[in-house]
Amino acid sequence: MRDGIEAAKQGLPALALVTDAFWPQGDFVAESFGMPDLPRLQLPHPIAGTGQARMQAVAEDLVDDMIKALSA
Amino acid sequence: MTGKLFAENEAEALEQLHAQGLTDGLPVVIPTDERVARMVLATGQAAELTLGDMGPAGGSATIEKIAVAAVMAGCLPDHMPVVIAAIEAILNPAFDLTEMQATTHCTAPLILVNGPARAACGGIASGFGALGPGFRANASIGRAVRLAMMNIGGARPGISDMALLGHPGKFSYCLAEDEASSPFEPLHVSRGFSAEDSVVTVVGAEAPHSVMYSGDADAGDDHERLLNVLAIGLANLATNNAALTGGAAVVVLNPEHACILAGAGLARADICAALYDRCVHTTEALAAVNPGFAGRLKPGAVRHCFKEPSQILVLVAGGSGLYSMVMPSWCAGGHRNEAVSQAIVLDLFCEIPVQTDTNGVV
Repeated sequence: MRDGIEAAKQGLPALALVTDAFWPQGDFVAESFGMPDLPRLQLPHPIAGTGQARMQAVAEDLVDDMIKALSA
Repeated sequence: MTGKLFAENEAEALEQLHAQGLTDGLPVVIPTDERVARMVLATGQAAELTLGDMGPAGGSATIEKIAVAAVMAGCLPDHMPVVIAAIEAILNPAFDLTEMQATTHCTAPLILVNGPARAACGGIASGFGALGPGFRANASIGRAVRLAMMNIGGARPGISDMALLGHPGKFSYCLAEDEASSPFEPLHVSRGFSAEDSVVTVVGAEAPHSVMYSGDADAGDDHERLLNVLAIGLANLATNNAALTGGAAVVVLNPEHACILAGAGLARADICAALYDRCVHTTEALAAVNPGFAGRLKPGAVRHCFKEPSQILVLVAGGSGLYSMVMPSWCAGGHRNEAVSQAIVLDLFCEIPVQTDTNGVV
């Protein structure tokens, strides 16, 4: 979230990828740092350590939405 | 001005505070206007004076809000100089408080007190069981800092404080160094202060890990064995210090263990250097347990767990016996959650009359 916020503050297209376990924290950080509407997409949790095939599948599921969000 | 709640009586007020997530789960002293005003008065500073913004919520850490936390924690006015210095210390950017509050790691600010404030600020314990129950100053000072981190900094478990399990030091984590029993110069002197200064040092620390060592005065390598076992506890392969490196860590020597090291002619700096040399792992050992953190290393290379010996804070506290304690750390954040020392200002503070309730009962 913080990286996305910093990118957005510099005027760059930004999209935060947040796992469902950390979704409430994402909301909190977005609000606290003054960007409650920062675009974000929800990922299943966990991602780290789930293996290349699993991460590839998650990425393929999300890529269209990511491009759409960053192009808006 | 701090936002206010209204209640018919103190029991109802306590339930409101619990319901709104403004407590640590234990009963608190209700921070009434009068109690907070008295605590502010004791500081000798303006209620609206702010020590800075506290993350992750970014609340302004005013003297009044800190006084609210101190009242809730059960502090005496005498404790306030340490509470305020500890808040100043954790707000130092080098401490990375915003990131530390949000991490999944189990870390809390360990508050170490040196100098005359140990006695002047309510009698901060440093002997048997100093990190356990039974010591009002230790318990209340640490709790005040935690309540400030929650209610000013906005740390909420599972929402903004993402510690996966936390640790009991997140209720309170404060002790003084036992300077009288220590064969070494006080910790704060080793960090550039004079012995007459009162200083609080904060370190983002895990819960204490016990290190058992039975001394043997007949063994020529008694101190070497002790250093070896301290190093194993301080930065074993399961710690962030081994995997991430570059963060501070704490060694609390009990007086008996301190005497073993001092008896071998070691000063504090020598102990830190000896532990630095011992807290090192090979690529192969790191890769065997956490390959993701060892991947950039060349086979056969070794990695020190600390940037320099001074990152290892050694102090003397607790009762004498078999056990010393080590506290590994988180080792992340932009400054690697650096240990920060802050002078405690004693001469601004005012004695205030003993408080009585409306019936004149103390």
